[in-house]
Amino acid sequence: MTFLRRIPRRLIQLTCFVGAVVLVWPVLPWAIAPRVFVQASPFVALSSSIATRSISLGLVFAVIVAVASSFKKRWFCLYLCPTGFLLENASHMGLRKSRWWSKCPPVGRYVAILTLVGAVAGYPVLLWMDPLCIFSSPFAVNKATNPISVILVCLGLGVLVAGTLVFGMLWCVRICPLSGMQDMLFALRKALWNKLKTSVAPQKFGVARRVFFAGAGGALLAVWARRLGAARFRKSDTLLRPPGAVPEDRFAGLCIRCNNCVHACPSKIIRPDTGHEAGLAGFGAPIIRYESDYKYCLETCNACTQVCPTGALTPLDLQQKNKYIIGEALVDNNLCLTALGKKECDACEHSCPYDAVKITWDEEQYIAYPVVNDKCTGCGACEVVCPTTPVRAIRVWTQKPS
Amino acid sequence: MRRSIAAGGLFAAGSLMPVSSTPANQAAGQSTTHTQAETRVPATVVDGKVVQPRRELSVLQKTSILVVGGGPAGTAAAFSAKRLGVDVTLVERYGYLGGLASGGLVLGIFPLYDRDKKQVIFGIGEELMKKLDVLKFGIIDRNKAPVYPTIDAEAFKYVLADMLLDSGITAYLDCWGVDAIVDAKGAVKGAVFESKSGRQAILADIVIDASGDGDIYAAAGAAFEKVKTNIGLISRIGNIDEIDMAVGRGSEDSEHPATGKPGEGRPSKGRVNDLNGHAGNSTPAPHVNWLNMKGPVGDALDVADLTAMELKHRRGTWGNVEKLRQKPGNEQVYLAETAPQLGVRLSRLLDGVKKLTVQDIRSGAKFKDVIGYSGAYANAPEFQIPYGSLVPSKVENVLAAGRCISADFEVADITRLIPVCWVTGQAAGLAAALCIQDKCKPRNVSVTKLQNLLKQQGAYLG
Repeated sequence: MTFLRRIPRRLIQLTCFVGAVVLVWPVLPWAIAPRVFVQASPFVALSSSIATRSISLGLVFAVIVAVASSFKKRWFCLYLCPTGFLLENASHMGLRKSRWWSKCPPVGRYVAILTLVGAVAGYPVLLWMDPLCIFSSPFAVNKATNPISVILVCLGLGVLVAGTLVFGMLWCVRICPLSGMQDMLFALRKALWNKLKTSVAPQKFGVARRVFFAGAGGALLAVWARRLGAARFRKSDTLLRPPGAVPEDRFAGLCIRCNNCVHACPSKIIRPDTGHEAGLAGFGAPIIRYESDYKYCLETCNACTQVCPTGALTPLDLQQKNKYIIGEALVDNNLCLTALGKKECDACEHSCPYDAVKITWDEEQYIAYPVVNDKCTGCGACEVVCPTTPVRAIRVWTQKPS
Repeated sequence: MRRSIAAGGLFAAGSLMPVSSTPANQAAGQSTTHTQAETRVPATVVDGKVVQPRRELSVLQKTSILVVGGGPAGTAAAFSAKRLGVDVTLVERYGYLGGLASGGLVLGIFPLYDRDKKQVIFGIGEELMKKLDVLKFGIIDRNKAPVYPTIDAEAFKYVLADMLLDSGITAYLDCWGVDAIVDAKGAVKGAVFESKSGRQAILADIVIDASGDGDIYAAAGAAFEKVKTNIGLISRIGNIDEIDMAVGRGSEDSEHPATGKPGEGRPSKGRVNDLNGHAGNSTPAPHVNWLNMKGPVGDALDVADLTAMELKHRRGTWGNVEKLRQKPGNEQVYLAETAPQLGVRLSRLLDGVKKLTVQDIRSGAKFKDVIGYSGAYANAPEFQIPYGSLVPSKVENVLAAGRCISADFEVADITRLIPVCWVTGQAAGLAAALCIQDKCKPRNVSVTKLQNLLKQQGAYLG
């Protein structure tokens, strides 16, 4: 009988799993499908709406899930969550099938509180622990241009699956912030319900204290990350974020490392940062690198700005995107073939989609060299065609106020 | 003399006597009294206007194919046509062959390769490079894609003179093509030349305009587009050994001179940093670099512009070499020569049967009448060149070759380069020879025959 009762749940789970893959792949001719998928997590929708002070489409769905899970405990986990489905199946194959983790504290609730409080400070600290975000990330693997990027995009889900094989369902039941949030909603509903019926018993002091500390921790972490994490990015002069990126002090927090933008980029120029560019706070967040042959930020594309579920990349239409400043192209005349009289080269001038580079004759110096004007968006078209090796004479650098 | 001169071969400029009979047989200091056999009336002032009287021009030569211009395109055209046994006459303005590749010091032979570093230009050009190969200090960096070969100007002049002397082509050097000769219907019948022998005519069945500026087709009334672009002056600098070794032979490797590490540090914006990079590119001659110059935009058809460039560029080049000498290690650098010819890039562009456009090369257009390829250049991929871009849309009996063919500005900026001029020159030469053999007009040439001939001569058509 138990077995029969489970079948419909498995079916729904399987359907949702397939649906998730279809959305993220994306098989549908619906460009924003990956964004909608990650926003389907109420944790993401709520935190990012708070952090960006805006109402996103996902909030509607988030409210439905929130209401449902306040009546049926962990409704989302049991039926909808594709990560949960994956891990549940992994746990059947795993080493530990006992419920040993029931002794562990409910870390997920504190993670959720911490993140929500952080979101109020504009920096949803641990939002990258969201299960849908973790599920979405490995799909970017086909746009990863080097082994490190492959590891980075697969890291989250890989760790969860490996962890589940070894430790059982620890993540889902105790650590996942989305399940923690649902637990809290359920408890809250129950508490309200009981209050209406009878006078409620005062809550245990211990729980309230933990909630307080988690909230305070979130606020502190948010402030720390915005101050110090932001300060660290200055160590790199070549940090380039995808178009539409919010200011750097908020970007690393708002970005949840779902790698949707990496996945969406047809030029394969977006990759997760190893922490080299923007420090620890920026680990795994997307950066732009103009390395592959003749690939740059195309003037015909705004895909990455359409798929960001949290607003770390503001949605831009094509016209807006083509005005977004990714960085600024600067020329090192001591490497430039034209300035040095080495070659008849005007590759940068001809490649520029915005007419921003002109090989200019300098009557004083009696040489010619590329001059970049204000139309430059840092799209990298000039950088990828510049023939000097190993370092290109014209490169895109982080924009600095002149 | 090492080589025997073919009968009817090279003529000394300004004389109808074959080379073999001129300088050696004439004693120096011999004076001849001018008999005024030809009555020459100078230009006169009539009513305040300078008027040149109408007069008959002596016909210097009657030929089947007349090639105007002895640069890469003109020599390729003449050699390829002569190989089909057709009577060919070549006229060159300067005292040597090779045009901008020798006299202009454009020593880099690019673009030769496609995106996959495969060579796509062969034919006459490949033959010339093979001949340079066997010479000491003739050519470097052959078959080292993507690094382009660099030739020596004097070696190239020697190779062309050597080939011409053996070819049976009639040639006139120091002889400037100034006008077209057309019949009542406007079809081209030859061209008029100015030389120390005065103004003379050469009559021909087909004229190949390899003048670079399209002087002959323009004079004949063909439609063209006039463009202005940068005009520079290339030079060679000597004793630049140390720098040269650091950068590697003509490669595009770059090492930052200040730090010794590649391109360190953020360049400043809107300011020219102190130029201390490795100036110029190595050449086959040891310790010698060639130094390209972009130059300002000028009108290559305006004598005032040209004069200004010639003077200012030489002053500027001297100044830059002085600056170069101030860098440590460069104290002994000297200016070996400035090019005898200005680096005119583009002037006239023909309105041809087919105008090659930038859309064609971006879309990778394939042509039924393909006569060769240009290699990939900067962000442009390799592309096909159609025969139609050599044929004027209206005027008969004339073909364009070299930098003045029918292409829009962006494409012409690539087709003007040395190896592409070899391609269009060879095709124009063979097409002209086919016109003679098949007694047809250039626009009616059998494309299949032309392509077969090109393949026989080793050209690459894809």
